[in-house]
Amino acid sequence: MSDTCKVSAERRGDVALLWTDGYINNQGGEEIAREAYAQLESGAKALVLNLEKTRIVNSIGISILIEVLEKVMDRKGVLAFSNLTPTIDKTFRIMGLAQYAAIYPTLEEALQAVSREPPRP
Amino acid sequence: MTSSAPAASVRFLEFWREAAALLEAAAERPLPSRIAGAAAAFSGARFSAVFLREKEGWVRAAYAGEGGEEVLSLPDPSPQAVLYDRGALWVPLETEGEVHGFLGLSGLADEDYSDFGRSLGLLFGTLLGASRLSRLVKEAEFEVKTRLLELESLYDLGLSLAGQLDLPRLADEVLFRSVSLTDARRGTLVLFDETGSPILQRSLGEELFPSEAVFCWNLPEGEAVVNNEAATVPTCGVSFFRCEKCLAVAISVAGRRLGVLAVADKESRDGSVLDFTPADARLLSLFANQAAAAIETARLHREAIEKERIERELELAAAIQREILPRSLPRVPGVELAAANLPTRQVGGDYYDLFPLSGGRLGFLVADVSGKGVPAALLVSTVHAAVHLQIDEAETIEELVVRIDRHLQRYAAARKFLTLFFGLLEPDSGLLRYVSAGHNPALLVQNGSVQSLQSTGVPIGIVPNARWKEQTVTIHSGDLLCVYTDGLTEAVNESEEEFGIQRLSAIVGGASREPVQALCEAALSAVADFARGMPQYDDQTVLIVRRT
Repeated sequence: MSDTCKVSAERRGDVALLWTDGYINNQGGEEIAREAYAQLESGAKALVLNLEKTRIVNSIGISILIEVLEKVMDRKGVLAFSNLTPTIDKTFRIMGLAQYAAIYPTLEEALQAVSREPPRP
Repeated sequence: MTSSAPAASVRFLEFWREAAALLEAAAERPLPSRIAGAAAAFSGARFSAVFLREKEGWVRAAYAGEGGEEVLSLPDPSPQAVLYDRGALWVPLETEGEVHGFLGLSGLADEDYSDFGRSLGLLFGTLLGASRLSRLVKEAEFEVKTRLLELESLYDLGLSLAGQLDLPRLADEVLFRSVSLTDARRGTLVLFDETGSPILQRSLGEELFPSEAVFCWNLPEGEAVVNNEAATVPTCGVSFFRCEKCLAVAISVAGRRLGVLAVADKESRDGSVLDFTPADARLLSLFANQAAAAIETARLHREAIEKERIERELELAAAIQREILPRSLPRVPGVELAAANLPTRQVGGDYYDLFPLSGGRLGFLVADVSGKGVPAALLVSTVHAAVHLQIDEAETIEELVVRIDRHLQRYAAARKFLTLFFGLLEPDSGLLRYVSAGHNPALLVQNGSVQSLQSTGVPIGIVPNARWKEQTVTIHSGDLLCVYTDGLTEAVNESEEEFGIQRLSAIVGGASREPVQALCEAALSAVADFARGMPQYDDQTVLIVRRT
């Protein structure tokens, strides 16, 4: 398995979908942050991170995801995760990411949920 | 006195209100930047700069305005109180006696800024202190959660590995958690067999070391080895590929080396490579211990499955053989018959059979096919079918053996063969015709002396178009013929000595007047006594024919 994380994005209206492929560490986290901030700058209100092809994340990657989450919340936006492995799901819950960002089993469920979500006050 | 207090209070409130408005106006910017902007706007300074303590000392973290040469760097020594010096106002930003930063303002008129500076210092110092405290709390909370995650991971890994018998998945689980929880950039896990040959290698990122090189590493038992100076295992000097720092641990069970787990280059938020800590080493050791137990469990499970498979195969082969060997011996006037078969590994490749034929004749055979287990049993089955199909068709036993050979050459798997002794006895005259296709010499006992009936050709199924020569001998009343397989004569004792044909000859020659069944049992019993419990790897079959 490669230690380099690739991130790709697709825009559906106000929602930006980000696919990760690989280890979310410092490099992977920075890739995600760069793409997420670019999407926010271009008007995205909600971000969905689909981690279907990610099996490993470290604490540096998590701290960067928390920074992304804080940025999204500062902008009154929404962040959601989908397709987490059980290990990453548990990691996100323990590290507090799940407190402010919802976790969904599938990308479709995440998309439906963030599309329904009213903007934060 | 009474009138000045409200006036001071009003000024103080206005000061805070104005400062708060300036700070809120740029809420999206980092706090140092907002402080620099608010301080410049608030004081009317042309340029303002905020200095914060970093690892390398005080550094300018933010600024606002233009110019500002006077406040490009902090005076040395740093000011202990508000200081106006050569056009620059320096304000320590402090709370409760702790300095969190410095504010530098330039472009101000030469006035007394003592009170104003202290107010700025208190306001912005409080903000910086609160921000720093908040950050420390967040970091501490993150650290606590990370420790909790480590504990949970150890627990989860134990549960996960307990039921994990798939070695590659098991290795991935251990490797990924090890890399993740030590914040390593890369990792490699190698497992090898007893001889040191790698049986599995998993890596996150490029592999750290050649899998062939790990077996000889002198890693201590159950203790991870840290090397923060160079990417080598310090105990043996093996270099890791393209990394700066490493941590490696042996995966062992009861002193038996099963593999090596190594991680490299602990990451930091700023992209630099950190030293691995003793806590990282402890964590990796714990993972290695859990992995060792799980790998051993998986190995034992595989062995149990293999053993079960072999036992099933042997049971099947035994069932085939039970159907083929005669359930009872025919009664033939003028002849006493007895036979015994002792299979090893539950079943093997021995076969004997008897055929009452026209004119009171008796056909009999003893065969030993190559191989063991189901393949041997299937070959026996093929031979059995061929003999029973051909025995009435063949004019002579020579022709019968040729027909069996051609049948096997055509239908049996390659490299399968058998040795066979086939006899045809006319009880009235005592004439015995026989063919021995590479079989052990049969023993003919006449008047207490033992004669060997040697092989008359090659084993069946080896040489294309082979022929066998039929031999004859006369069996007199009271003579006894013993046909057997090499499981008897090649049985070994603890000194690796073979039972041999002489011992068998002595038994059958010395007791030739005993009942034939007792003689069969005596032969097998003598072999068992000789072997003294040593496991035997070949079937033992003996057939005895006595002319009455």
